[in-house]
Amino acid sequence: MAPHLGHDEFFKSLSELLSKTSQQVHGSVNLTQKALVNVPGATTTNSQPSILIRATDGNTNTPNLKNESKEAKIANNKSQKVKLSTIVSPDDIEAFYVRYAEVCKTGMSGLKKRDRRARKAKTKGGAAKVTKA
Amino acid sequence: MPYLPTSQAYLEQSAQLLQAYPDTTRIVTKYSFPTNRRGNIIRAQKSQARKDAKATATGGTTTTSAPPSTATATLTLKTFNPTTGICLHYRTNKLQEVGRLITTLGKLAAGADVAGLGLSTTVPAADVEMVDAPAEEVTPAAKTQGQGQGQSAKGKKKGGKGKR
Repeated sequence: MAPHLGHDEFFKSLSELLSKTSQQVHGSVNLTQKALVNVPGATTTNSQPSILIRATDGNTNTPNLKNESKEAKIANNKSQKVKLSTIVSPDDIEAFYVRYAEVCKTGMSGLKKRDRRARKAKTKGGAAKVTKA
Repeated sequence: MPYLPTSQAYLEQSAQLLQAYPDTTRIVTKYSFPTNRRGNIIRAQKSQARKDAKATATGGTTTTSAPPSTATATLTLKTFNPTTGICLHYRTNKLQEVGRLITTLGKLAAGADVAGLGLSTTVPAADVEMVDAPAEEVTPAAKTQGQGQGQSAKGKKKGGKGKR
């Protein structure tokens, strides 16, 4: 496993990964979050564990070349699996997730955007759709 | 485990699962585009054929549905606890939901309980409507309505909506 990244670096790589996937209109990105228990190096305050965040592309059938740099991995993603991870301490969770949500929103451009005008024009029964503000 | 119909149901049940097993439960968020695997293509074709048959039967003009170029990605959220084998799913393809979902995942990560998620009662109402809306439009496809259907089928449904 590659060493954990800092938050800035993680977000940078993640947004690259997401936008790359969106541009290709192919592939997938897996984001995992789990509590980090009994691991040295993880700070634990009042029974609230740190959170481990991982991001990978689904490129599993190719070898994971550990000794190559992150940039190189992203550059020739075709043949290599991208693995990113970072640790969020309990105090940083809120700030982290604000940025995380932002990065995801910008990166996941392949999802359906809300387009009220087009929907209204097209659908007769579109009223229900628009209620969600 | 089935896909949950609303994000609120998913998030609430995830909160309960995380409370019960805070150490082992993990949340996976998958952002993916439909693949070109054979099975997926066949499923999409079948669903398209069904839709076309239905459209012609009802006398609707078949001006083809969503062109393949507008293949939308899906976001699948999964809360999994390996020790109990409990797995909760939620799937969406709406960009507008991403922000709220991720922020709530953050609250879950911070150990919030169901009440602490701050999901107002207006949210499920809106979600339910959004889930129901396509069902009304595509009653013939009611059978295929299960959320476990392929993503391509979903996309087609949306296309079907547009042409009415």
